[in-house]
Amino acid sequence: MDITAWNWEVMTPEFIILGTATILSLIDLFMPDDRDRRFLGILGLLGVIAAGFYVIKFAGAEPVQIMNDMFRLDSFGTAFKLIFLTGVALLFILSIQYLNRQNQEVQYRGEFFYLVLTALLGMMIMASSADLITLFVGLEVLSVSSYILVGIRKKHLYSNESAFKYVVSGAIATAITLYGMSFIYGITGTTNLYDIAERLASAYQQGFSLMIYLGFFLMLVGLSFKIAVVPYHMWAPDVYQGAPTPVTAFLSVLSKAAGFAIIIRIFLSVFRSIVNYQSDAGSFYVLFQELNLYIAILAAASMIIGNTLALRQTNIKRLMAYSSIAQAGYILVPLVTFWGINFFSQTLFYLVAYLFMTLGAFAVIMVVTTDRGTEDIRSFAGLYHRSPFTAIAMTIFLLSLAGIPITAGFFGKFYIFMSSVLYENYWLAAVMMGTSIISYIYYFGIIRQMYMRPGDTEARLAVPLPAAFVIAVGVLGTVAVGLFPDLVLNYLNQNLQFTDMFARP
Amino acid sequence: MSEALSQVPLTSYLLVGLILFSVGLYGALTKRNAVIVLLSIELMLNAVNINLVAFAKHGLYPGITGQIFSLFTITIAAAEVAVGVAILMALYRNRGTVQVDKMDLMKR
Repeated sequence: MDITAWNWEVMTPEFIILGTATILSLIDLFMPDDRDRRFLGILGLLGVIAAGFYVIKFAGAEPVQIMNDMFRLDSFGTAFKLIFLTGVALLFILSIQYLNRQNQEVQYRGEFFYLVLTALLGMMIMASSADLITLFVGLEVLSVSSYILVGIRKKHLYSNESAFKYVVSGAIATAITLYGMSFIYGITGTTNLYDIAERLASAYQQGFSLMIYLGFFLMLVGLSFKIAVVPYHMWAPDVYQGAPTPVTAFLSVLSKAAGFAIIIRIFLSVFRSIVNYQSDAGSFYVLFQELNLYIAILAAASMIIGNTLALRQTNIKRLMAYSSIAQAGYILVPLVTFWGINFFSQTLFYLVAYLFMTLGAFAVIMVVTTDRGTEDIRSFAGLYHRSPFTAIAMTIFLLSLAGIPITAGFFGKFYIFMSSVLYENYWLAAVMMGTSIISYIYYFGIIRQMYMRPGDTEARLAVPLPAAFVIAVGVLGTVAVGLFPDLVLNYLNQNLQFTDMFARP
Repeated sequence: MSEALSQVPLTSYLLVGLILFSVGLYGALTKRNAVIVLLSIELMLNAVNINLVAFAKHGLYPGITGQIFSLFTITIAAAEVAVGVAILMALYRNRGTVQVDKMDLMKR
């Protein structure tokens, strides 16, 4: 085995991110303490852009596997990496402004940037890996980085507390995931996803179905932590509230997208090929016709719990946490209705829409809460009179999150809804419809605050340039994707052959 | 010695792992001291290691991968708990307590 002969080039984006993180940490180490560290964010941004360039360059190529099939470059990974890199780039722009000198809460600004980069590295490994060990290592690189990011306001009580809650629930989730993986390893004797898929199918025929189910449920519960769906959603409100706002945005958009990447990758490649030949109703695929019922229950429970509990929230970040639990429930629906329908583009379309609308919303939340010094929903009162454009932008994001037409969120939800109806899973579609209507109440509650309630102050709200840029990108993305959804879908379908996920080079 | 050990059936190992995992989960969910909670999580992760190593020896397809996997698990568990303890220390400095049931600032 000659490692120099491997095609290391396909890992260029990962190496760029790793190199940037290393360089930033070294600069931070040797730079005098009293210097402003915000230029590290710009360096990080350049690294992210360079990595994005290579990801786009490799897009659409045939799947490649290196490192004994541990690293895998395919369209599925490429699409997720593009989402991650776009998100991190916008997040960096947002946080360069957040971590200014007036903000005494975060003392360790250098750490912020390279911890986001290491988390990004973990996410990229999670998205393009074909081995349980590397998937797990990627997951943990992301988790450990985000534990520290949540607690980065070292003197802040809420931040400490939420970081500790995050570590404990995250570590339990890790243990549960690993326990499930150990059973899957036990009946297949390999950690390669494609070998597992072959051997699992024959193990099922030999009567090891109990262990397969055990592995499936343990992994489903453990991994549901990352995307914050029922049964592992309880951490989200506390952690979202205690974390600094850019980190909350990171958790709610990027960490969640990475969770979906690993869940889809593992479940679709490992459990796809198991067929039950012995049932009375004829042979059927276990994942798509039996286990998906449980995923559907989790999705429905997340929508119901997320949307109803959000009604009672007065803290905007807690509200966004419950809203993100519900949104994760929506994104799980295509996984339930996978069979025979264009699954990948539905999921990715919603994730792209979700990226723009949520990051934009968090940019507005950051500006408003920093200005008012409180995270109560009433801090939005009178926003329209203070800064009309910010208020209109926030309205667009909220309408999109609620799924009102002509926004990206509407089409995302529409495709997901249609997939459920076409699959004849009417009860799930009904739950989705009903809970969406409930969600209007709290989304419109914020809008009512912005337009109809008098605020404590009429002073103009100064929106800093970086935040304004992120808000503008969010509005453009949400509206453009909403007006021309076909453009995104056509791009996804033409440039990325998602079915190559199942092909082994 | 190794002869005798290989007579032990796989189910015994799995049972030990299951007990360890359950004890760990119980401890992590019920204990009030945060340090004990972190220790309980270690128990859960070590249950995974027992499973992996037992499967590497007695599984359907014996091989070394399970032992390699457990090395990764041990390393990462150490990193995870190190971060956990560091965060706990920051919390202790600010609040002067490591009791989990006192960590309810955001419930109101």
